This record gives sequence, structure tokens and C-alpha cells, in this order.
Amino acid sequence: MLASINWLKKYVDIDVTPEVLAEKLTRVGLEVEGVNVLGENLEGVVTGKVTHIERHPNSDHLWICQMDYGSGEIVQILTGAQNVHQDDMVPVAVVGSRLPNGMKLKKAKMRGLDSFGMLCSATELGIDAKLLLPEQRSGILILPPDTPIGVDIRDVLGLRDTVLDIDLTANKQDCFCMLGIAREAAAVLGKKLNMPAMDVKESAPGNIADLLQNRIEVPELCSRFTNRLLKNIRIMESPEWMQNELRACGVRPINNVVDVTNYVMLELGQPMHAYDYDKVAGHTLIVRRGGEGEKLMTLDEQERILTPDMITIADAEHAVGLGGVMGGFETEVTKETETVILEAAAFNGPSIRRTSKALGLRSEASLRFERGVDIERCHLALNRAANLLEAMGACETVPGIVDSYPVPYEPAVITVTPAAINTRIGMEIPAEEMIRILETLEFKVEVKGDALVVTAPSWRQDVTCDADVSEEVARMYSYDKIPSHRPLLALHQGKEDPREEVKDRVLDYLAAAGLDEVLSYSFIHPSFVDKMLLPEGDYRRNCIKIMNPISDEFGVMRTTMIPSLLKIANFNLARQVESVKLFEVGRVYIPEALPLTEFPRERPVISAVLSGQRQPLSWTAPKAAVDFYDMKGVVEGLLENLQVDGVKLVKADQPHLHPGKSCALELDGHVIGYFGALHPTVADNFDVPEETYVLEMELLPLIPFATHVPQYTKLAKFPGTSRDIAVVVPESVTMQELEGVIRENAGSLLREVRVFDVYTGKQVAAGSKSVAFNLTFQAADRTLTDQEIDPVIKEVVAKVAEVYEAQLRK
Amino acid sequence: MSMKEELLQLQETALAELENAASTDELQNLKVRYLGRKGPMTEILRGMGALPAEERPKVGQIVNQVKKALEEKVKERQVVLEEKALQEKIANEKVDITLPGRKPGCGHLHPITLTLREIKKIFMHMGFDVMEGPEIENDYFNFEALNLPKDHPARDMQDTFYITDNFLLRTQTSGIQARIMQSLEPNTPIRMIAPGAVYRNDYDATHSPMFHQVEGLVIDKNISLADLKGTLETLCKELFGDRVEIRLRPSYFPFTEPSCEVDISCVICGGKGCNVCKHSGWLEILGAGMVHPNVLKMSGYDPETMNGYAFGMGIERIAMLKYGIDDLRLFFENDLRFVRQFR
Repeated sequence: MLASINWLKKYVDIDVTPEVLAEKLTRVGLEVEGVNVLGENLEGVVTGKVTHIERHPNSDHLWICQMDYGSGEIVQILTGAQNVHQDDMVPVAVVGSRLPNGMKLKKAKMRGLDSFGMLCSATELGIDAKLLLPEQRSGILILPPDTPIGVDIRDVLGLRDTVLDIDLTANKQDCFCMLGIAREAAAVLGKKLNMPAMDVKESAPGNIADLLQNRIEVPELCSRFTNRLLKNIRIMESPEWMQNELRACGVRPINNVVDVTNYVMLELGQPMHAYDYDKVAGHTLIVRRGGEGEKLMTLDEQERILTPDMITIADAEHAVGLGGVMGGFETEVTKETETVILEAAAFNGPSIRRTSKALGLRSEASLRFERGVDIERCHLALNRAANLLEAMGACETVPGIVDSYPVPYEPAVITVTPAAINTRIGMEIPAEEMIRILETLEFKVEVKGDALVVTAPSWRQDVTCDADVSEEVARMYSYDKIPSHRPLLALHQGKEDPREEVKDRVLDYLAAAGLDEVLSYSFIHPSFVDKMLLPEGDYRRNCIKIMNPISDEFGVMRTTMIPSLLKIANFNLARQVESVKLFEVGRVYIPEALPLTEFPRERPVISAVLSGQRQPLSWTAPKAAVDFYDMKGVVEGLLENLQVDGVKLVKADQPHLHPGKSCALELDGHVIGYFGALHPTVADNFDVPEETYVLEMELLPLIPFATHVPQYTKLAKFPGTSRDIAVVVPESVTMQELEGVIRENAGSLLREVRVFDVYTGKQVAAGSKSVAFNLTFQAADRTLTDQEIDPVIKEVVAKVAEVYEAQLRK
Repeated sequence: MSMKEELLQLQETALAELENAASTDELQNLKVRYLGRKGPMTEILRGMGALPAEERPKVGQIVNQVKKALEEKVKERQVVLEEKALQEKIANEKVDITLPGRKPGCGHLHPITLTLREIKKIFMHMGFDVMEGPEIENDYFNFEALNLPKDHPARDMQDTFYITDNFLLRTQTSGIQARIMQSLEPNTPIRMIAPGAVYRNDYDATHSPMFHQVEGLVIDKNISLADLKGTLETLCKELFGDRVEIRLRPSYFPFTEPSCEVDISCVICGGKGCNVCKHSGWLEILGAGMVHPNVLKMSGYDPETMNGYAFGMGIERIAMLKYGIDDLRLFFENDLRFVRQFR
């Protein structure tokens, strides 16, 4: 909402700078976002008359103007504009003047002739082209012929003004107008509020009751509908002051009737509409619902299909407007109009909101109706509009108003005690001060015993309960005076859901393990299901779709974290990050059924990606790309850290993973996650290297393990003894199998089996590998001797050889 | 030469040689040569058989003295030479301390996580529980239960992503307020925060369609705006330092009344005025207010006896101020050169 200081000064004596006023208004809840000085850097531009104009002899587009701008001499100025004529009044930037774009005018030579200044267009004066009529947008700004010569252009165009840009909160519908802002300004400045002139001459003969009827058929959608009738209308330009004030507040002047309806809306907050009386059939206006499929050509010459949800204004025959949203084309006021019907009404906000949204027609008027207008202000608006047009000599007003007002307004009456207000605010404001504040804002206050009986003014429909009254008192008394103390509450230990605690442990572990945490959007491009090669029927294809996404890129809620992380991996690899190790603990969104009829499951998932180098280039270790065992190590470390026992690795069988380099994590017979290399096609689809390893694992099944308190086991008293063995076995033998054979044959004293070397190459036969183990034996009650262990080792080696036809490496 | 003289001569020579031994190895060799089984001492002792019986003890005594003197000398030299060898060894051993170390891989937590943790810690110390809620919310909890009926103009404050007419991506963490109240016995006191991701259909340099909020709710008896101010002052001083001041400005949220915006004195310029605070000296960081009686009523609480305050803050906003980050988009771009700056 833009508010011109000059305009506000009509209702309240503002004796502080705009900046100070802005700050004071902000501190009572009208947040001033900008203080815009009009005509800033515009200096020395004056009005001038073209006394003579002729073509430049050496140019086909330049004109030579002889200008009188009150300096006592005629000055030659050249212009390239084609819309200037003899005797036109125009803005003249004389030598030495400054323009808002920073230009400082100097004498110039154009095609051999001197030019002592410049004629200006509106935009050169810093006026927004949107606020000009199309014909004013190009060429030099032609001023009215009766403009005096030699006057500072800022005075002529109302540019000695400052405009406050106020970010109005949705509850401050009363401040959606100059008068409302002025009322707040008066309250914060301790001044009186002056109402604008509302008197109407009513000089036309007859009475409106005989000339016009109106009626509301839908009181649930329209609580009041009022009209005035203006005869002998003369359509013309509005006076400069009105045009200037409208422009200052961001409204384009059009003609006096349109301008006055806009002006009254900005001034009083009551949207208005004007009809051509002679085109309204039966001289009757009816407020009803739209017929199913009924058509209406609106002012913008678009044909609209109406529905019963839309507030429709109709004459005796058909629809003539969409109430509060847009008028009809047919009954528009034109130059030929003789008699005008003015309308001021109170329409149902939610209905206006739905209609204007549905038709894409949100306007200054519809926004005011949405928030709610002051139902008691209809007459004021009609009178003010008539007053303004009469003052222009543009009409004669027919006596009377037609007013359909089925249920008169009942003000909100709130009984509240000062003690309750003080309790809520947390301070001791005296009752007299509360009464003073409320009366300044035109609330009526009656003291009844301990209580205040507060009646809200009709324009404060947002005030309905004692909390609202408390806010009025607090904001005007000043939030700065509220003391600061902490609530006195019973001691309580702040607690967190265990799953959050475990999540934090996961984050800490993975970061400590050298992975970087990332944070991705929960919505992703729906094409991921194909890029991940997910087959028909895979539950991850059932994504929750967003009805109104920003774009396809954010189209569906993810059912897996992998695409998000691969996108980030790709982004970073493309930026020469040599070692990409990422993780995120995020949610995936799994619907029970689509379209959604119940809340979906939002499952927290641990995800990670490793790609590129194992570690940044370093002299301490050879350059090496990440491999399966890097990811496996991360997983094992994490599970160990969370004390998760009993996870089995089984074949993964996941379409997005490389079948030979991936596995599933199984816990109590349920798969809780997968990790491994991407399927080469998937890697290609996401534009990441083939050797990219991913992990996705459910968080929830890990919680019970992680929250388990570890129980101490006694430390062994006697030293263990360890032996190394090496066996050559077929390459296809897995470590798990081999370890199984060893454990089976090493007896009960075996404590630990560790692999410390796996070798394939020249020194072993093709198709076989040499594996070196370190076995640790320990007894609880004695130190073991060689005599005890040596036969066991012999037995183990012999058994492995027997099972795998293996032999000891030489 | 008498045997005695011979012995003393030997002692003199040996002591001199021991004294000159340059290394422990040489010393060991000398020790073996003089005191070993094949050494001159052994020979002398063997030759004692040829001496008259009365001289034997005398010579024996001298032999022992010499032996003792030599052994002591060896010991003494051993200490000196070991020390010398150690010094030489140390003098020759050197690493290039400027070569980078073998650092165990160290990852980083995202600045949003770090900021959120800090906020959680501050509130948990004040006795707040930490709660969670669904991100896919329904219209009732996200709007209606917060005093925002359908077609209310304040719904424009947040552009909503819809999934169906009923389900949506929560636009604020405030929906948890009603969820928690309705999950408890009516009028149970509450002190909680609820962090999480929220979504709004707004995407440009200063808006992200997904961002994070922390909701706060305290419900008890006789809670006031002054309590709210004190709580938030504690938060801001913990986050930004003791010198930070806060101010409340009247504002509007459908679910609180009175409502306020909370500003802190600019953490960049200290309140003098700079580009970040648009020369106002103040930065807006969160919205708050007293829980609207309608919200209490709708969730089964009695607004006559129970009241409370609520607040909601954007974590990104706080992280930006805390770490001096000037572009919101960095949080979700996940450039590792960005993420790796935080710990």
C-alpha cells in the first residue's frame, strides 16, 4: 500500500519528517518498507511554452523550438520528439538543471545548431510509464494549456512529495486507505483526525427512489448494496492535484469518473463502481448468483462464464458485472454517458477471493473486499464521490441513496478487565491509559466495575476478543516498554525423540568418517524412476505428485534419496572436487495409495555417495579411486558405532545397482538397505563416473540397538597367542565361506580371524588367490602353549586344503 | 718387571685406551680385550700359580683392584658414550615438519544442521522438549486449526504446494502446535520446539521452495508477552552474543494475538547501520505472539485458564547471520567448497 505524505496531510497535521513518521508507524504495526522521495534529483526543470517550432535544416527528425520558460528571454532548444506543437506547454530542463537519471544539462550542439536545454518526457522526469496514459508514454510530456510558465515542474506534477510503501498485514484492512493510515498517524503523533468533505448539493430534480431500484437476493454474499445517481455527467480529465495524488499512490489517472471511484477507494477503503444508467435495463440492479453457464463480457472485453459461486450484478435482463471483481463492458461509462449510477457495496470476502482467483482478476478492489470493507462506510463513499465530481462541475446529484441493507451491522462489544490485559502483556498499564489509547483509536469504552466494556468501531472488524483489545493497548503503549523476563515454570528436563538423538549420532559418525553432509530438496524430477531403471511395480515409482510444482524439476516427492545425492555428486565432480563423499539423513515419502487419502509414511533414510578419489591428492598414499570396500567400511563402521548386531549381507537384486558389486543389508529377515556400485547405465543416466558407490539404509530399525546401553564384559587375564597362515584357494571362494571353514576346525580357543592379505597374480595359479589370515587364540584360565596351538593350526590348514584342494603358499 | 708393576702398567694403558674409546662398540671391544677370558688379566691370573704362596693374596688383591678400576671405567665411559651416541643420533634424525600430516578423513556437517543443533541445545537447556511432525500435512493442521479458515486472506501470506485439495506440503512448522495440543489431555502444560523442513511456492534469489523452521510453543498459566520477550532474548544472546539486543514490533499472524516480529540489533554493524540491516540497525529474525484464544479452543484448551506464546524462526536466516552467508541458494546447492567451510 502506497501512501503519499501530501495526501495524508489532508487529514492529519504531520509535523515530523517522513522517516520519523515511517518509524513511528512501523512501531505500531504498519510496517513501512520504503520511504520513496518523489522528484529526487530532479532540479531546475521548469514549465515552458513553445513560442515557435520549425524543422532543423540539416536533419529529418530534429525540431528547433523557441521556448519561453519565464527567464525573460526566448531560448532555443532542439528536440528529436515528434509530438511537440506551437503553443504546447512542456517541461524544460534548462542548462544547469538535473534529471533523476543523474544527467546534468549542458549547452549542446546538434547538427550545427545550439540547444540550450532539453524538453522532457515523463519518464525522463522519473515518472513510471505504467502511471501514464498510453499517449503520454512516448514523446515529450504535454502539460495542460493553462499551466503557468516558469514554474518548477515538481510543483506542477506533484513531485514534491514522499510516498510511504507500507507492507500491510492481512488484519489491517482498516489501514487499506489513506484515512485509516491517517488515523494511526494521528494516534502516534497525538493529533486530531480531520474527515474529508462529504457534503452533497443534490441539485438534480426528483428523487433516486423513483429512478432506480436495487435489491439483494443473496444476503449471504452481499450484506449491503447502495447507489447514488449522478446526472449531466461531463467526462473529462481530473484536476492535476487528483491525478498527482493518484499517481503518487500508484494508480493511473484515466478520466474524472474512473479517477473519483479510485480516489475514494484509496481515500476511504471502499471500492466503487460506476454504471451507465441508460444501459441498465429496467433501471434496476440486482445482486444474485451467476447462472450456470451464464455469460458476461467484462470491462477488459473478455467473455466470462459465470457460476453460481460468483457474485453477479444484474439488471432486469442479464448480468452487468461481477460484484467486487470487475464490471461489465456493456454498462461501462463512456464519453456519451449522461447519467451515472455509483455503487458502494459490502461483498462477502471469501467469495470475492475465490472468484477473483478463479478468473485471475485480482485488483485493488477485490483485495479490499477479500479483507473486508467497513459496512458502515457505503454512504460516506457515495457522498464523497458525489462531492468530488460536483466540485469539478462534472455532475448534478439526484437526491437520495438507494440502500439495500438486510441485516444492520452489530458492533463487537468486548468485556475485558485491565488485569487480564496486563497479565497477557506482562506489565502494569493503568486502566486510564488503556481507555485513552482505545478512545484515540475511536473505540468506545465504558467502565463497569472492574471491567472495561469496549465497543469496536465498524472499521475494526478484526477486533473480536480480549486478546485483540490487548494488542491494541500493547502496540500503542509501545512494545518497547514490555519488560523481559522468563516464565516461572516447573523444572523440566528438555527431551528429544530418541530417533533424533540417534540421527545426530549418525551425522556425527559419518562426518567423522570423512563424509560431508548435504541437504537436498525433498521434491525431485519424476524422471528419476526411469533413470534408476526401476521396473513397473517397484514401490518407488509411486511418487506423491505436487499439484502446482515450480517446475518438473521439483515435481514429485522422492521415494529414494539416491537421485538427490547423485545430482549433488555430479555438481561437485563437475567443479573439480576430486574426492566426493557425501551423506544425508533425509526423509522419503511413501504413500499407502495414490491419490493420497491418508498421511503417507515419511521414512528417515541414511544415504551416502562415494565417488572420485579415495582421498584428496597426498604424498602419504597412492592415488586411488574409491571402491566397494570404502563404502562397506563406512557401513560397517556406522553399524558398529550404533551397536547394531546381526546385520547380514545378501545379494542385492536392485535395478539401479551393479549386480556383482552390491549387496543388501538384512536384519531379522528384513532388508533395511542396500549399498554398492551404481549400475553402469544408471551412472551414465545421472552423469557420474561408473565407479560411484551409493548407500541407502533405513534409520528406524537401528534405533533400538543404538539406544542400548553397552554392558561390560570382563577383560581376559591371560595373554592370547596369534599365528599367521596363508592358503591358496579358488578365486570364487568368499571370505565368509573360508572363515567358516577355519572357525569350524580351529576349536573353541579361537577368538579372532583377521584377513591381512589377499593376493592374485603371478605367484599363484590363474583362477586362484592367496589369502593370509591372522588367527588369535586365547583361554580364560591359562596362558596357551605352542604344544596346544600348533596341532590346531596344522588341522586348520589341512582342512582348508582338503575342502578347497588348496595348498600352503611356499 | 714385577707382576705388580706389570699390572699397574696394564691398568694405565687400559684406562687410557678406555678413556679414548670413541664409541660404545669400541668400548665393548676394549672391555673384552682387557677383561675377557682371553684377556691379559686372565693370563696374569693364570700365571699366579708360579708365584710364591705368600705373594699370591697380594697380587690377587691388586688384580681385583685393577679389574674393578677397569670395570668402573667401562661403566663410566658407557654412560658418556651412550649419551654421545644418543645426541649424535638425535642430531641426525629429522623430519620435514612442513610436509602435510596423515590426516584421518574429516567430513563436515551442513551449516543448517549446525545452526539447528545450537538452537535445540539452547532450548533444551531451558526445559523445552523437541518434537517432530509430518512434512506432508493436511489443510486442517496447517491452516484451519491455526485460525486460518478456507478463503482467509492471510492464506496469501504463504504460497502453498498442494498434493490434493486436502493434503499439502506444510508451509510452516506451526501445524505441530495443534497436533501436540490435541495429543495431550486438555490443558496439559506444554514447553516444546519443533524443527523441520517447510515448503512454499516461491523461488528466487531470496526464496527457496524448501527451507527450515523452528516452531516454539509454551502453554501454561499466566504466560505473558514479557515471558516471550525474555525467552527470545535468551535465545538471541546465546546465538549472537551478550551484546545483542532485541525489540518487538507489532505484527500479524492469524494464530497469535497480540503478534510481533522480533528484531535483533544488527550483528554486522552492531546497530550503527549498514547494508545488511538496510541502515536501520535492526534485523528481523522471527515472528511470535501470544497463542490466539481460538487456537487454544479448537485444540481443546480453555483460553480462560490456560494461555501461552508461540514463535517461529527460519533457520536459514539465522545461519546466514551467524556465518555471514549472503546467498540463500548456497544452502541447497551443496557445493562442497561451501559445506566444507563449516564445523
